[in-house]
Amino acid sequence: MQKGLSLDSSQSPQNLRRDRINRLFARAVVIPTVIALALIGVLLLDTLYDTVSVQVVEVTETSGKSFALSQALTADQVIRLELLAQGKSPEEVAALMSDPDEMRVFRLRNRVELMWATQEGPLRWVVSSIDDERIANYSLFEGLRRWNELKEGLQENQQLRLNPWLDYSFLTRDPSRNPISAGLRVALFGTLWVLGLTLAMSIPIGVGTAIYLEEYAPKNRLTRFIEVNLRNLAGVPSIVFGLLGLAVFVRGMEFGPTIISAALTMALLIMPTITIAAREALRSVPDSIRFAAYALGATKWQTVTMVVLPSSIPGIATGVILAATRAIGEAAPLLIVGAAAYVAFVPRGIFSEYTVLPVQIYLWISANLSEFANTAAAGIIVLLVTLAGLYALAFWIRRRYRVEW
Amino acid sequence: MMLQEVAIGHETVRWEPVPAEEAVIQVQNLNLYYGKHQALYNVSVNFPRNKITAIIGPSGCGKSTLLRSLNRMNDLIPGVRIEGKVIYEGVDIYDPRVDPVEVRRHIGMVFQKPNPFPKSIYENVVFSLRLQGQKEGLDEVVEQALRRAALWEEVKDKLHEIALRLSGGQQQRLCIARAIAAEPPLLLLDEPTSALDPIATERIESLLLELKQHYSLIIVTHNMQQAARIADRTIFMHLGVLIEEGPTNVLFTNPKDKRTEAYITGRFG
Repeated sequence: MQKGLSLDSSQSPQNLRRDRINRLFARAVVIPTVIALALIGVLLLDTLYDTVSVQVVEVTETSGKSFALSQALTADQVIRLELLAQGKSPEEVAALMSDPDEMRVFRLRNRVELMWATQEGPLRWVVSSIDDERIANYSLFEGLRRWNELKEGLQENQQLRLNPWLDYSFLTRDPSRNPISAGLRVALFGTLWVLGLTLAMSIPIGVGTAIYLEEYAPKNRLTRFIEVNLRNLAGVPSIVFGLLGLAVFVRGMEFGPTIISAALTMALLIMPTITIAAREALRSVPDSIRFAAYALGATKWQTVTMVVLPSSIPGIATGVILAATRAIGEAAPLLIVGAAAYVAFVPRGIFSEYTVLPVQIYLWISANLSEFANTAAAGIIVLLVTLAGLYALAFWIRRRYRVEW
Repeated sequence: MMLQEVAIGHETVRWEPVPAEEAVIQVQNLNLYYGKHQALYNVSVNFPRNKITAIIGPSGCGKSTLLRSLNRMNDLIPGVRIEGKVIYEGVDIYDPRVDPVEVRRHIGMVFQKPNPFPKSIYENVVFSLRLQGQKEGLDEVVEQALRRAALWEEVKDKLHEIALRLSGGQQQRLCIARAIAAEPPLLLLDEPTSALDPIATERIESLLLELKQHYSLIIVTHNMQQAARIADRTIFMHLGVLIEEGPTNVLFTNPKDKRTEAYITGRFG
């Protein structure tokens, strides 16, 4: 056995083997991360891919015109040109365009959209009517590959377009049984209504519960039991909350399939999450801070409201946002409590019928018209971007307002 | 086995106790129990007005417990039982008719570790006034409290920055400013410099010497040199018993009790 440090030990066979194994292991543990990222990438790309399709459309006499960007920059200018092209006088056009009801009917029956490519050239405004009969809907790759062939084979009154389903007007169009004019507006408003009402109910109750459990309740068997069950409740499958909502709110209280039923159900669903997050935030406030407040003559209530709660707002806000992302993404409980299949109008109050983003997407996916797969993909992208935005907001709040004790 | 004898309740040795009329707060026959464990044994002592009194003793001797009994902070610990009287301005603060919150508004406290609120410097100082709903004249209070805490020159341009950015010594001076903002006549300090470096400690000590013009100060310290430097009177405690009490120079140069002598000469502690 050699004593001391040998200078060539790093080149010995055992050590080379050891280093090789270390390197292999370091690479092996990267693989799951790479697989996960790759899967997310594939999902995103596939969904994005589905938001574009190549269509062959048979147009009627009153539709199918396209306008170059140089002719019109905004959708309103396009509508003006379209109406003029239909043979109306400038006075008539001005009258029509100043009448909101007429415009509403026009937008329901037509879609004005900047298409990426048409047979007449790239980036042209196309006015399509819901009466247009769509002959074929090709996926992006196939459509582009056969673009020239399809263009040759066009019959009279037929048009070829590269249709981007996801654009600004997709967000502002009302739903429709016709995919060409279907949009997310009603689902977006439904989501906003349900989310707003859900948070309005679950934040005060959830944070209040956390304050009671953390600051006031004695630490005994009962509070431990409640704590364990809060965690259990946060893990209950959401469909169970849907059944509860159906029995209690929809049937029992006779609210029917309305926004208030959905919001109450969702509030129950996310309240445990909010309570747990708020408790963690309150617990992270050190006792020395509470003692400082007491020593200055603060009552318990003043200590909680003036010191402890303000110090834990960043943590609570982060928890609330993460709970909100859950409320936005859930479809199952709302399908049960009756997010309606087809709602043509934006909700007017808490007793309106409604639909929300994930339910709308679900309905599109299960529809039997292949073009609805494109609107569903566009809807999924909108949903994912919304959720990613909220996650980013939570991350930012945590970084910006975190208190270093 | 010497420790056992002490715990049973040794006769306290005193010199010329502070007369009642010069005392800001009087402790009479105070016994304190944490559950079954007795932490203070029959403590009686008068704390003088506008002087610094130091409480010294080895770890676990009950010096912080005695301090916290003076503004009823021990009430916040579950399972505490207190017998005896603590008389402040002629009123027993443990009288059932006395509101402990009210007591703490008259008797300020500074803790071992600086514990500013995660708010601006300004809001930290005016906290006790906000508690009482005061809205007028806050700026003047902030300036005076920070000047008295010898912090004004360093922070006057950043009053609205968050207090947690200050250094440890500055944070502790801010805590002192916060404690004196509502002008409590009596200020309790629980090892206020034990978490600070020597330079910050020196600043706090000279600050305390300034403050005794306006306030009565009681300071718990594990640092005997600190007690010798700043205190007018010193109390030595051991295992929950007040062993010896008197003017600081007398206690340090001519202790009557063997244990006091052993402690101040560093033979235990």
